[in-house]
Amino acid sequence: MGLGASSDPKLSHTAAMILQAIHAGYIYGFSVMEMTGLPSGTVYPAMRRLERDDLIRSHWEKQSIADAEQRPPRKYYRLTAAGKSTLDASRKRYPLLERLIPSEEAKSV
Amino acid sequence: MIRVITAALHALDLSLLQCASLMVPGVLRAEWRREWRSELWHVRRASAPPSGATFGAECDIVAFCLGAYQDAWCLRRHAQRNKPAASLATAPFRGSAAQCLLMLVAVFVTTYALALFQPEVRMATHSSRSAARSGLILIQVQDQEGPTKAVIPFERYRNWSLHSHLDFDGFAFYRMSREEVTAGAEPPSRWRVALSSANLFALLGFPIQLMGNGEISEPGLPQMILSYTLWKNEFGGNPGIVGSLLRIGRRQVKIVGVAADRVWKLPGQPDAWLLEPDLAILGAGAGHIIAHLTRQGRAEMWADRVNITVYNPDHSEQDYLGTSISEHTPTPWDLYRFAVLLALLALPAVTSVSLSEYSVSSHRPPWPRRLARGMYLGGKLTLLLPIAYYASLDCAYWHASQHSPASEYAQLFSTFVICLFGFRWAILDQRQRCPVCLKRVAHPAQVGLASRTFLAWNGTELICTGGHTLLHVPSLPTSWFGAQRWLYLDSSWEFLFAGTDAG
Repeated sequence: MGLGASSDPKLSHTAAMILQAIHAGYIYGFSVMEMTGLPSGTVYPAMRRLERDDLIRSHWEKQSIADAEQRPPRKYYRLTAAGKSTLDASRKRYPLLERLIPSEEAKSV
Repeated sequence: MIRVITAALHALDLSLLQCASLMVPGVLRAEWRREWRSELWHVRRASAPPSGATFGAECDIVAFCLGAYQDAWCLRRHAQRNKPAASLATAPFRGSAAQCLLMLVAVFVTTYALALFQPEVRMATHSSRSAARSGLILIQVQDQEGPTKAVIPFERYRNWSLHSHLDFDGFAFYRMSREEVTAGAEPPSRWRVALSSANLFALLGFPIQLMGNGEISEPGLPQMILSYTLWKNEFGGNPGIVGSLLRIGRRQVKIVGVAADRVWKLPGQPDAWLLEPDLAILGAGAGHIIAHLTRQGRAEMWADRVNITVYNPDHSEQDYLGTSISEHTPTPWDLYRFAVLLALLALPAVTSVSLSEYSVSSHRPPWPRRLARGMYLGGKLTLLLPIAYYASLDCAYWHASQHSPASEYAQLFSTFVICLFGFRWAILDQRQRCPVCLKRVAHPAQVGLASRTFLAWNGTELICTGGHTLLHVPSLPTSWFGAQRWLYLDSSWEFLFAGTDAG
């Protein structure tokens, strides 16, 4: 007998936007800020919480790539499997999410 | 110019990030800084035009950096939320006897270290270790108006010190003089110098601070001892001055130490003492003679005075008066002992000195446990005593430049307060320590109703978290329940303390 409880965590609209932005290919903090229009004081703490909840994962760019482009290396974020399923659930909750931040596949179509 | 402004603004942004990083937990800080610095680089490149800085762009960059504070605060809050889980590992240590003793040791080390870094405290404690010599007299001419007038010629001192006497076993001489002293490249200044025989301080038994081993006995240059006031005013209390050379007139002298002004009770208020070989001050004229009386000489004293008759070679007599200068002034150690005694006398007024060992059952912990409990109380009191000593010295000499009546009162008062409330705390703490494991009993629960005091027991019940005992403390002591009682818990209580060692 189900009580309708879902295992997917409920995300705030801001967190869902950030998750959608990362999914759409804006994979470092400043690009997420630019895409969502959210200030740094909102984006970075939200990304920490998403990473703590295992919805996204971070890794540092290789030093050699950064050196070749004469800039400091970036910290990139990507969605985990749990993050993808949470994003799917969030899209149902926030239907305009995909229109606000279209993903790469949607853009190419 | 634009490049300089850009660099300055960049430094400002970096310093904002640096400040924010201080909020980030230590283990995450390095990576956090790296990420924000990297992001800042990209923000700056995207916001600022290549030609230079614009006000709008800089505002955007600063706003970006200010966001780092929210991020850092978020990380810190998250780390703090996880703390209680991590600190569970230290739970057995919390409230234990070892923790209490370690805290006392830490307080002792802190007070001792503070005392060590205060030269005033070092001087006060040093002088307290050197007992003032008894049997010292200042010799004056019988009809002399006042003791400050120096009338005894050096030849007289010379004559007396070369011969042995039944009543005296030592003489020293000094005379006051204003001398021009040059220290290094500084312009010369005039000091009041006590030109003294080399044995002056040895005879008086005055302590000399900051003196290296064997400095006073080192032959060669005349040796100078600075007064504490001069040392603070002229040399800023620099201990490194000891061993350096000064010039008095044409002579070079070596500084060998510093003497507290308060020890000097003799005529004249010297800025420094110059200890010279006798021959060097032979022609110095009249001065003061200090003598040390033998046991036989002390027997001749009456009301701190002794009459001395000197027979001259021409068969004439001259009368001198010896006045005792062995005035006893309380040392910090004396004050401390007196304050501790006062605190012990006042202790029953602030708490009951009973440890309330009363037990409602016939069970008593084995003697090693009782011994450990006694040793724990002894350890606390033993640590409290040096803490009170050094903490009171720290308080007394924190602002005082040297020993003074104000510092004496401050030391007396602070020792009394620390000892009184320290002893009170030690006893109260002991009463709330489980006799079995010495951990503090916890989780107080109010039992009974105050309105039924004469019908049933009411008070506070506390439990040992190790599951050994219950402590009952009555709210209102009655003839049938006057003091707190321990209830030793048997094995039937163990189910309440799952996961703890009830033995």
